[in-house]
Amino acid sequence: MSKNYAFAAEKRERAGKGVARALRRDGKIPAVIYGDKKEPIKIALPANEVNVEYNRGHMFTTLCDLKVDGDKHLVLARDVQLNPVTDIVEHVDFLRVTKKTTIAVKVPVHFINEDKSPGIFAKAILNVVRHEVELVCSATHIPEQIEVNLEGKETGSSVHISDAILPEGTKPVIEGRNFTIATLVAPKTAAQEEAEEAEAAAEGAEGEEAEAESSEGGEEAAEGAE
Amino acid sequence: MLSPKKFKHRKQHKGRIHGNAKGGSQLAYGAYGLKAQSPDRVTARQIEAARRAITRHIKRQGKVWIRIFPDVPVTSKPLEVRQGKGKGSPEYWACRVKPGRIMFELDGVPQDVAREALALAAMKLPVRTKFVSRIGAGEAA
Repeated sequence: MSKNYAFAAEKRERAGKGVARALRRDGKIPAVIYGDKKEPIKIALPANEVNVEYNRGHMFTTLCDLKVDGDKHLVLARDVQLNPVTDIVEHVDFLRVTKKTTIAVKVPVHFINEDKSPGIFAKAILNVVRHEVELVCSATHIPEQIEVNLEGKETGSSVHISDAILPEGTKPVIEGRNFTIATLVAPKTAAQEEAEEAEAAAEGAEGEEAEAESSEGGEEAAEGAE
Repeated sequence: MLSPKKFKHRKQHKGRIHGNAKGGSQLAYGAYGLKAQSPDRVTARQIEAARRAITRHIKRQGKVWIRIFPDVPVTSKPLEVRQGKGKGSPEYWACRVKPGRIMFELDGVPQDVAREALALAAMKLPVRTKFVSRIGAGEAA
């Protein structure tokens, strides 16, 4: 669990796209605080600070001390809206949490001992199936990351949730099955790649032929209709 | 080359590309990706050329995902033919790409190799692009 980060926010009264756009023009980001059976609060945050924190990572697994016009709120970022082109944060959702809150959080997976895996030494590719695993834990004890040990993993083997070192007091949301986190697959050989390229080329040629045939058929049909 | 297995209509209207990508704007599979920054039609040939550029540069390591599919038939008239007499015949397939769309994803290679491979792929495409990576990717690699 890492140290809490902090933001100084200000309350905003109005909602809607016009107000949100005006805020963004002034270098701020609209956000909302909800949960804990209290009324939601609409706030505005400094855009630069939020973007720096988001790009640092771990924003969704670290608690935030929000100061809104003198009042303190302990919150957890639950969702972020990004601009699809620039990837700049446009809106943040915060959930109020207490020491008693239990939540499901997506925690990033970190692979360790890659150099001790005979599969990776033999140029196998680590195909990550899940970059994040959803865990149920206490809001004040969210793990920063889950460590998965790759020691002794051969080519063709898989890494499951049972191989992960889960911190105390946490359990995966998916229960009842030992789901896969990553697989170690053999790299493609030159012959395989050539065969794939030849197949793709053949498919392309077939497609073009089929198009030519269908276009001829279509034209004939059109002529018949006339 | 990518093309639909079957289709409802042989010829489509030309259409226009308005606005930004509504979905497919965040990395879903890999640690690195190539994001479109301008709108354009990307043809099946261009997608295949970009894919080849990536796979050849990463030398069969890693894994590549193609996040766009050419599903728009583009027609053209033969040379030296007067206007009129109906719409031309389908010539190739294309995909309408909006700004923000992730077109290719890559994983299993170091960040510098991914950056070079996707830069080579970008040269084959008609859209302006940018390299994107998952937060924290490249630290362990």
